[in-house]
Amino acid sequence: MPSRAKFGLKSDDVQRTEIPKMNRKSALDGMHIMRRSVRYAVLAVGVVAALVWARSVAGLQDRIQEKPATAAEEYQALQKEFQSAAAAFWQATTLEETNKIVARVDKATTKTLELIETNPKDPIALDALTQVVSGEYWLNAHTSHPGWGKESRQARAIALLLRDHVESDKLAETCKRVHYGFRQESETFLRTVLEKNPHREVQGIACLRLAQFLVNRLERLDLIVDQPELAKRYDSLYGKGYMDALKKQDRARVIKEAETLYERTIEKYSDVKVPQYDSTAGEQAKTELFEVRYLAVGKEAPDMEGVDQEGKQFKLSDYRGKVLLVYFWSEF
Amino acid sequence: MKNLAEKPFALLGVHPNDYTPKKLKEVMEKEKLNWRSFADHRVISQRWSSRGTPTYYIIDHKGVIRYKWNGYPGAKAIDGALEKLIKEAERKG
Repeated sequence: MPSRAKFGLKSDDVQRTEIPKMNRKSALDGMHIMRRSVRYAVLAVGVVAALVWARSVAGLQDRIQEKPATAAEEYQALQKEFQSAAAAFWQATTLEETNKIVARVDKATTKTLELIETNPKDPIALDALTQVVSGEYWLNAHTSHPGWGKESRQARAIALLLRDHVESDKLAETCKRVHYGFRQESETFLRTVLEKNPHREVQGIACLRLAQFLVNRLERLDLIVDQPELAKRYDSLYGKGYMDALKKQDRARVIKEAETLYERTIEKYSDVKVPQYDSTAGEQAKTELFEVRYLAVGKEAPDMEGVDQEGKQFKLSDYRGKVLLVYFWSEF
Repeated sequence: MKNLAEKPFALLGVHPNDYTPKKLKEVMEKEKLNWRSFADHRVISQRWSSRGTPTYYIIDHKGVIRYKWNGYPGAKAIDGALEKLIKEAERKG
């Protein structure tokens, strides 16, 4: 046990150490203590004020040095750019203007994809990938671009959707956008979501959208048969191998699968709300099942009755012997 | 469309709303449409045109649906289809 001597203290010294006498009560002493508290308070406020001021200066410095935008901010900016270009498309009067706008859409689509490839876990990733899918549709529809082959942004976006978002509960809009497509990846996505997504509402939508995708793809194939120029473009956009395989597929089998999917939608997911229609998956499936069964090319048209604009009654079968173009129109 | 006046062809328009024949006629006059049309009170349009307007069906002289388009497929597509089917009707094979 160390002696006090080791610390340079002698027992005498300890005894003689002065203990501050705090218990002497006098008015002066009280005031002295209070003033010290106030002093400490003022000092504390001063320190806080200094910190706040220092931070605001730092903030100012950040603004001057242009702090990098977050992924969400970048995405918002790219969305604005896409929307403004798409709107300007309709005002363009020269080919040069049109080409400039198409280049803007093309660039915004690519940058959005790259943003997500760099930030795949960002909360905006699902929205942004869905927009990339739409962006390439826009380009397909409004230009005669021969397609991007392996560079297709749509294919890359769907690959990321499959990797990171298949189990999301927010896939209604994505399923809708993807189902407008024609490529193999669209079919793969819808099938995978139907199989793997754990949310009933999403399964119901994927089921309906897959049926619609199969029917639409078949109808578009029928269109191409009579239009060789369009057929060439499809070969270029989606790949000749894929197009040849599609043309060889058994039409009846595809229709049968679509019917089965519609029936499954009616049986298992009837009440699931489809946000884009004012109705449910079951109602929509019933309508489209009727169409596939009775209003498809090759079927005898069901009869219909009506009263024309002169007040005269007639039936569709009145036209037997003539070629009839029935045109469903609206004034909007 | 080419002049199909003497051909075995007819054009029938269907409007999805609840118009009376009088109202339909007014709308058609405003839109400058002069073919036979009827207002179907949504019943038929809901089934035949479930994905909205415009939708086109071409039915041959035997009553079989031969062409169907959602959205305007272009004059070439429609004219080509009509030409082909009218030839068939005239042959009455």
